Amino acid sequence: MQEIRTQLSEDLTAATTSQDIEAVRVRYLGRKGAITLLRKNADFSAMSADEKKRFGQQFNELKRFAEQQIAAAQARQTSTTLAPPSIDMTLPGLNNHLGHLHPISLVQLELEEIFQSLGFMILDGYHVETDFYNFESLNIPRDHPARDMQDTYWLKNGLLLRTHTSANQVRALEHYGAPVRAVFPGRCFRNEAIDPSHENTFYQLEGLMVDREISVANLIAVMRTVLTAVFHREVTVRLRPGYFPFVEPGFELDIQCLICAGEGCSTCKKSGWIELLPCGLVHPRVLEFGQVDPDRYSGFAFGLGLTRLAMMKYNIPDIRLLNSGDLRFCEQFPAAV
Amino acid sequence: MHISLDWIAQYVDLSDLSPQTIAHRLTMATAEVEGVETLVRSLDGVRIGQVVSIEPLDDQLTFVSVACGTEQFTTVCGAPNVREGMKSAFAPAGVTIAGGQTITERQVGGKTSQGILCSSEELGMGGGHFGILDLPASLESGAALADLLPSSDTLLEIDNKSLTHRPDLWGHYGVAREVAAIFERPLRPLQLVDVTQYNDLPAYPLTLDDPENCPCYCCIEMTGVAALPSPLALQCRLHALGQRTFNILVDLTNYIMLELGQPMHAFDASRLQAVRVAPFGTTGQFTTLDGQVRHMVPEDLIIWNEREPIALAGIMGGLNSEVSERTTGLLLESANFKDARIRRTATRLGIHTDASQRFEKQQPPANTKTATERFLHLLLESGLHPQIRSRFTAQGTLKDQTRYLDIPTDFFDRRIGNPIAQDRMVSILTSLGFEASITNNTLSVGIPPFRSEKDISLPVDILEEVTRLQGYDNLEPKMPNFSVERVVLNDHLRTQHKARRILAQAHGFSEIHNYSWFDETWLKTLGYEPEATLEMANPSAEHNVRLQTTLLTNIFAVVKKNTALRDHFRIFELGRIYLPAGGQDRIEKNVLAGASCQHERLGSLEAHFRQIKGALEALAEQLSLGTLAFVPATTTTVPWHTPGGYVDITLQDTVVGQLGFLSDPLLAKIAPTAQVVWFELDFDRFEGPIFPATSYAPTSRYPGSWFDFSVVASAQAGFAELVSTLDEFSHALLKKREFMALYQGRGLAEGTASYTFRYWIESQDSTLTREQIEAFQQEYITFLQSKGLRLR
Ligand SMILES: [Zn+2]
Repeated sequence: MQEIRTQLSEDLTAATTSQDIEAVRVRYLGRKGAITLLRKNADFSAMSADEKKRFGQQFNELKRFAEQQIAAAQARQTSTTLAPPSIDMTLPGLNNHLGHLHPISLVQLELEEIFQSLGFMILDGYHVETDFYNFESLNIPRDHPARDMQDTYWLKNGLLLRTHTSANQVRALEHYGAPVRAVFPGRCFRNEAIDPSHENTFYQLEGLMVDREISVANLIAVMRTVLTAVFHREVTVRLRPGYFPFVEPGFELDIQCLICAGEGCSTCKKSGWIELLPCGLVHPRVLEFGQVDPDRYSGFAFGLGLTRLAMMKYNIPDIRLLNSGDLRFCEQFPAAV
Repeated sequence: MHISLDWIAQYVDLSDLSPQTIAHRLTMATAEVEGVETLVRSLDGVRIGQVVSIEPLDDQLTFVSVACGTEQFTTVCGAPNVREGMKSAFAPAGVTIAGGQTITERQVGGKTSQGILCSSEELGMGGGHFGILDLPASLESGAALADLLPSSDTLLEIDNKSLTHRPDLWGHYGVAREVAAIFERPLRPLQLVDVTQYNDLPAYPLTLDDPENCPCYCCIEMTGVAALPSPLALQCRLHALGQRTFNILVDLTNYIMLELGQPMHAFDASRLQAVRVAPFGTTGQFTTLDGQVRHMVPEDLIIWNEREPIALAGIMGGLNSEVSERTTGLLLESANFKDARIRRTATRLGIHTDASQRFEKQQPPANTKTATERFLHLLLESGLHPQIRSRFTAQGTLKDQTRYLDIPTDFFDRRIGNPIAQDRMVSILTSLGFEASITNNTLSVGIPPFRSEKDISLPVDILEEVTRLQGYDNLEPKMPNFSVERVVLNDHLRTQHKARRILAQAHGFSEIHNYSWFDETWLKTLGYEPEATLEMANPSAEHNVRLQTTLLTNIFAVVKKNTALRDHFRIFELGRIYLPAGGQDRIEKNVLAGASCQHERLGSLEAHFRQIKGALEALAEQLSLGTLAFVPATTTTVPWHTPGGYVDITLQDTVVGQLGFLSDPLLAKIAPTAQVVWFELDFDRFEGPIFPATSYAPTSRYPGSWFDFSVVASAQAGFAELVSTLDEFSHALLKKREFMALYQGRGLAEGTASYTFRYWIESQDSTLTREQIEAFQQEYITFLQSKGLRLR
């Protein structure tokens, strides 16, 4: 009886028209139907009274099941042929639940994934730093002219607001030693007058790779790989000399302008190149400050401007929009990365 | 800084190199060239003229007759420096000067002006408007300026930042050396006068009291000089680089500074008896040669004439010892000062001179001697014949010896990552003025004294020299080789990102960024006085002094700003607060704060509050933190903590934040016609497991059932009290209880409310029978009655 049950269900599922369903009904409940025959062909003489009773119950149950199933199938069949309720399906979809992530978060999330895919740890850091980590350990002693370039917010207690995420370099070296591969995204501060392209509060992502035999050629290859992932297409990079006290040699890394492909346009000021990030081989003194032996290890460091990348990626013309809290700005960005 | 290609061409053959090519190659190998400017001089028709007579017309104007060779002209001149017998540049009528103006004959005050005597600016030479050109008497009257000067020059503008570590590039000769190395062309040597020839003369009386801040002080005394106009070509170069010219003695110090990077100072020797280099030692005043009275502190380094201060070392001379028309004796200072000392004084006094700018880059001391020798050469070349009165007197360390460094050649291959030919290393270093030779795979480098120790002292410094000239463009990129290792994921950041996504993706919050400091003006409006804060010594504005200890005040400001734009919105920020922890210590906390604002007509405050509470509950659940408790709070420490208007949020009995709503008078200052629900959470306490131990619970094979009961209870007592009563009811079939709805109003007695709960019942081992269901309902109703509650 269980087999009949299963078979009936399968047949009804396969039946697509009302004729098919009628044929199923005849096959099971008709005069020569499988269920009808079950009773006709039963040998009651061989059953005990109890067995007869149980057979009777099961048979009735099966028959009722078959009748219900066939009726239900017929009802379904009829209803689909009726006109559906009339609704205006051209009305806009309802969505009350999506908010917006800040463009810096969006870019940071994307970069963190890219760097993790290349085996970098993601580290956080202090905003309020000591002179040692922000300057001294980066080979920028007191009175070094490089301190001019990064007008620092000093606190009355002698601490400062970090001027770059590079402040995490020696912290990372001290904590993890060598080899180490890490990036540190975060907020930085510089005492600058605010205008459409200058902010006193902005985001960077510093990267550090220290291992045996890290070379300039490695730096170029890793940067090219990262930037290809960031911009979702092959990028051409070039290095030229740049001075940062915590790297030697130091470079400015330019990418070929993505808008004009190097032909020269207004974005790249007709040069065909966009200055993108400072980088270089970690200065031996910085390694020493981080308790890493510069004779055994070498490394490279780079500083990506997250704020700058977000502005490039989302065509944001004015840096002041990022900290404006203006919802007309915030609401233009997705909630999901 | 500007570099004149005309000047560079004096030392390197630039033929067949375009300025753009030079600029590009310098950018790629040395320092960023930010601009290429062409300077075109308007010299056609302009002639050397001699002032024959001057007749004053009024306070400013004079009527001057000028001889140009055999021709005589008259002109009305307004220049204060015009004087009888002087030679200058005369542009007769018909000549077009810089800016496109064509000179015409005209009448001024009844006098005929047949042309003009020109300033350097009027001839397009640069140099500023400081009167008419004052030229040497030796120039032939009537000669055409076009025959005496190049008609144009090209100036490269080099980014000062990229020269921070290269004091040698603060002079043209250093840049010329780079250009020569880049294009593999010879560098012509500097012409010098060897000062050792004066070694038999007496030393100048010189005392160096502060060798720490003045590593080396040199001077030489001479007589028989005069403060005459400088040669035309020398003036032309100084003007092109924006320098004002004075007389040969002063101009030469500037010229050498621009050529070698070494600032010098010319003292009138007759004013001095003996020089001493020592700190100011006390506080007081000193008048610099620009006439400004400067306030000195004891550490400021001073050049003294015995007990009288005569110059602010390395920054600016004093009025009392300046070269004048009457000067016949010269004491020429060529000194080396400590970068930090100069920087501190210059920064404090706000005087940034060409000299201080160069000393701040720590010039190599050896330059002092080269500069003196160059000065003497140019002085002789200008036709002066000084009598040298003292030997070249030097105190301190000249450091004019080559420094040697041995580096294994494979260091270069390994750090560059590409092989580099040994002979190429040698040729690059040689072209930059280094000594270089290789034996047994060891490179022996001799570092020339003109490269500062700060710039070049380590093998990596030599690496940079070799690599940049080899060309970074020529390097083959190579991915590093290392073993695959697990990246330790940053759970803290991942939790933060998760919270961001939950709020934005499920609860309609928009993420904002605010500044990290309070706005004092806004705090006053809010009536909030923070407790201990970290304060900035040099804030961006007077009202941005204190670092924030809550994110909410800035969030309220954003709420206020947006109320005009939206009738409902939700914002959050995941940011930092900063707390002092005594002395040089601080605590930084990650804080999640937000606000939901909606116009009062859009719904009840209670429903609004519950929505945000629900979002926080969902957040805690999604972060696997367990259940948050919301405990009504009564203390009022901040204006938005109004008793009855906020709750403490607790997690395992620890307060982790607050949730509340604004009410007047605060609400009126922020969003008068809206409801504002706010929250702030100590996010560092809000971290659950990244991969929570969620485990599947099997569902019953037997269908369950649910029933909605509407319980009437005192509205005053509140939901929490009702629920704590209902919690006492237990039953074997009860699976869960869910709050569905609240009703107050018609049909209910005053002060009561109807709370609808859904009770889910099921059995793990059978389908529920009618009898079981009825028994459950009856038990529940009996329970309610026992508690004095009734169904609606
Ligand atoms: Zn372009």
